[in-house]
Amino acid sequence: MKLSRRECLGIGAATLAASGCSRIANRFGNSDPALPLPTGPVDATARLINRSSFGTRPGDVARVKAMGHEAYVDQQLAANEPEDYRLLLQLERFDTEHMTGMELRDIPEPEMLRQIQATALLHATYGRNTLYERMADLWTNHLNVYARKDLGAYRKTGDQKTVVRQHALGKFPDMIKASAHSVAMLDYLDNPLNVHGIANENYARELMELHTLGVHGGYTQKDVQEVARCFTGWTFERRPAISQVTDWIGDRTKIQPYGTFKYRDERHDKGEKVVLGHRIPAGGGQEDGEFVLDILAKHPNTAKFIAFKICRELLGDDGHLWESRTADTYLKSGGDIREMIRPVLLSKELSNSTAILKRPLDFMVSALRATDADTDGGVDLQNHLEKMGQPLFQWPMPDGFPVKVSSWTGALLARWNFAYSLANDRLHGTNPKKLSGDAFEAVFSRHQAGEDGVMRDVLAGKTAEAAMALCIASPEFQWR
Amino acid sequence: MRKESYSCEGYRRVQPGHSDSGEMTAGLSRRGLITGIGIGALAWLTSGSAIAQLAIDPKKKGQPNQVTVVVFLRGGADGLNLVVPYREDAYYRGRPNVSVPSLGKANGVLDLDGHFGLHPSLSTIFPLYKDGSMAMVQACGSNDDTRSHFEAMSAMESGLAKRGEGPSSGWIARHLATTEHEGDSPLRAVAIGGVMPDSLRGATRAVLMDSVHDYRLDLPEEEHEAAMRDLERLYSPGKDAVAQSGRETLDVLKTLNQIETTNTKAKYPESDIGRAFHEVSTLIRAEVGLEVACLDKGGWDTHVGQGSTVGVLPTLLDDLGRSIAAFVADMGPDMHRINVVVMSEFGRRLNENSGLGTDHGHGSVMFVIGGGVSGGKVHGKWPGLEPHQLTGPGDLQATTDYRNVLGELMTKRMGNAGVTSVFPGLAPAPVGVFA
Repeated sequence: MKLSRRECLGIGAATLAASGCSRIANRFGNSDPALPLPTGPVDATARLINRSSFGTRPGDVARVKAMGHEAYVDQQLAANEPEDYRLLLQLERFDTEHMTGMELRDIPEPEMLRQIQATALLHATYGRNTLYERMADLWTNHLNVYARKDLGAYRKTGDQKTVVRQHALGKFPDMIKASAHSVAMLDYLDNPLNVHGIANENYARELMELHTLGVHGGYTQKDVQEVARCFTGWTFERRPAISQVTDWIGDRTKIQPYGTFKYRDERHDKGEKVVLGHRIPAGGGQEDGEFVLDILAKHPNTAKFIAFKICRELLGDDGHLWESRTADTYLKSGGDIREMIRPVLLSKELSNSTAILKRPLDFMVSALRATDADTDGGVDLQNHLEKMGQPLFQWPMPDGFPVKVSSWTGALLARWNFAYSLANDRLHGTNPKKLSGDAFEAVFSRHQAGEDGVMRDVLAGKTAEAAMALCIASPEFQWR
Repeated sequence: MRKESYSCEGYRRVQPGHSDSGEMTAGLSRRGLITGIGIGALAWLTSGSAIAQLAIDPKKKGQPNQVTVVVFLRGGADGLNLVVPYREDAYYRGRPNVSVPSLGKANGVLDLDGHFGLHPSLSTIFPLYKDGSMAMVQACGSNDDTRSHFEAMSAMESGLAKRGEGPSSGWIARHLATTEHEGDSPLRAVAIGGVMPDSLRGATRAVLMDSVHDYRLDLPEEEHEAAMRDLERLYSPGKDAVAQSGRETLDVLKTLNQIETTNTKAKYPESDIGRAFHEVSTLIRAEVGLEVACLDKGGWDTHVGQGSTVGVLPTLLDDLGRSIAAFVADMGPDMHRINVVVMSEFGRRLNENSGLGTDHGHGSVMFVIGGGVSGGKVHGKWPGLEPHQLTGPGDLQATTDYRNVLGELMTKRMGNAGVTSVFPGLAPAPVGVFA
């Protein structure tokens, strides 16, 4: 038998084993593979903006330095800066901004998807309340809904407004309750099929595992089954009553295309339930589910899990430094997101914390902002996002797009191709102006500090377009 | 991208195919691009360049290596309806609506061994079982009793009994690390899709791609050389994860610019998994040194509308079966050096739910195909389906640790005897699925 190279290696592997083991231990350790993160000085103000937004725009760093970090953070927390007219004009074009649920039925599904994708990209790119947009992205993924299941594209439009954007800087318990009544979420996690007799556990499990307590949040399989029983009968009506439609006209936030929440008592399991040690007496109705939401919203493990999510968003791997304090704030403030965020953004740990890899949306939007690009958020950009691995609203799993570094570093080529397309003005509907001095400095100075000025050498004699492409394609620009 | 990935979803409408043309011939000729690349383009196929820091054993080209294709069914595939215990009364009692009809009935199972039968929607791969190149391990899984997709997938892709109890790198990443060799290809492992799977977490020489054909810098030819040179310089000094991956990406670009692929007559389904298998076949045929390919197929979380012989699950199985069959036909005699393994994070509950579906369960089934397989057999210890034989809320037990199946694959096929380095804490036990 002929031995292949692999088989030869196999025979040798016994002798390799000893050294192999220690090498593995060194390389992977027992905890995280600890993919190396970049180090080097960062400007504290640039860091604050990059962590609390989708990236600096030209002039941002100087402006925030002048007003001071505290004033800036408070301004962002207030989230009442007037929006950019370019954003408002573009949004005006979308049916989702004007039509009620009933009217949206006439829009084809791909067009619905296109509109919610463009809306998200435009909000992130042009939004002046940038912290609000950052948090909206966090909650969009925290309460992920796959827009291509059933009529998700129609339903997510309403969910995005009434759940995510309504509460992005509000109180977490309000957001989780809104989500539990959201047609988009109920349908995505199969709750219309959750009926007395044979419960469907899908929503109950993800509500605890992903939305509130976290996977090690102290619940059991029995709790999942009991919570599912509490939510039996929570479904929606596909066709709303005429009176409801009349109500909606004039209040766009109420748009719930394709159905409104409906509790159906005849589907509800009336028996006694025990959830996380709380006895829920027999004979209850919709209030069983509401009670569960109350228990979960006030649970210390929910506080911990939400604190973990917020701190990781702002401090990356160093989030643990602020986790317990933030969890305390959750419990004291009734889950007030603003109160949790403020001290973290003003902490000294922010500028010292380890780098966070930009996900494709972060990367794309930060490039658009750095180059002060005009964009329609259209198909060309969405296609690039898909190639980078983040087609918006199309992550099928309820856990949202991954945050792990290793999930994204395999797709750098797609980022390079975007950088060249943007810089060479080859994107339909998007035109860059110039690379901002702030963004350029952030890339350039770290290179100079750590890597013997390679950036300066590479850029020497380059055209403005080539320099822009290379800055955006550089390793440094992939981190925030 | 994982367009049809797993989700907690029931009825899914069939997605309009994504943006490609659907034409499945691999008429690639990268020669046109090579001239523009310059010095780096010599890469590893010809004994290497200083820039790429690669050197290849010149003998290697004549000795194609073993290739493992790992197909992960995301969402918890219902092992009981894939390899059906059609002799068990308890199976039909628990599933009045979503069971697969018994042997001899209309649309009934395809008999495997007098006790188990294959779902009829997998008829395309039934001949592989018959000719002895396919085997299954029934009642497989981890010792972890989690019924969370994310916990279970994470544990399995990390190669652990339980998530958190061991390294969080991927099992394939550790396999690659223990078999590193000077002159390895920059394309030792590939994942087809939009996001790197956790089994490759921490791996070097692993790349993510949607298609071999599209894996190139999208620039006019005259700008190519300068761009490659600039990127190489930008990415040369850094020590962080992005810089490292960037250097690997550049190596892969250069490698793929070297290959010429031939047309294939094989007909792959025009689905994501069909396309993915086709991409893998292109890479294998091009002999770029590929060792492991990771493919995903989602949609297995059949809480709703799972169906018996018509429905969500049969549709998924039909696609999976036809994709595997096309790949096997395409690879032909090369299958002796190729293994396909199909796995999922857990199985599904015995009793059906109210939505003509099934909820998260425990034990599931694994398929192994290709060279060296003790085929034509359903392996594993069958725990039974009577109430006292079930675990948790009414689920099939996992009597075979999935890591022992993968361990046997590694030892006997992938040339890696260091099973316990890759699967720490595993008590190796023979499964007998590889000869």
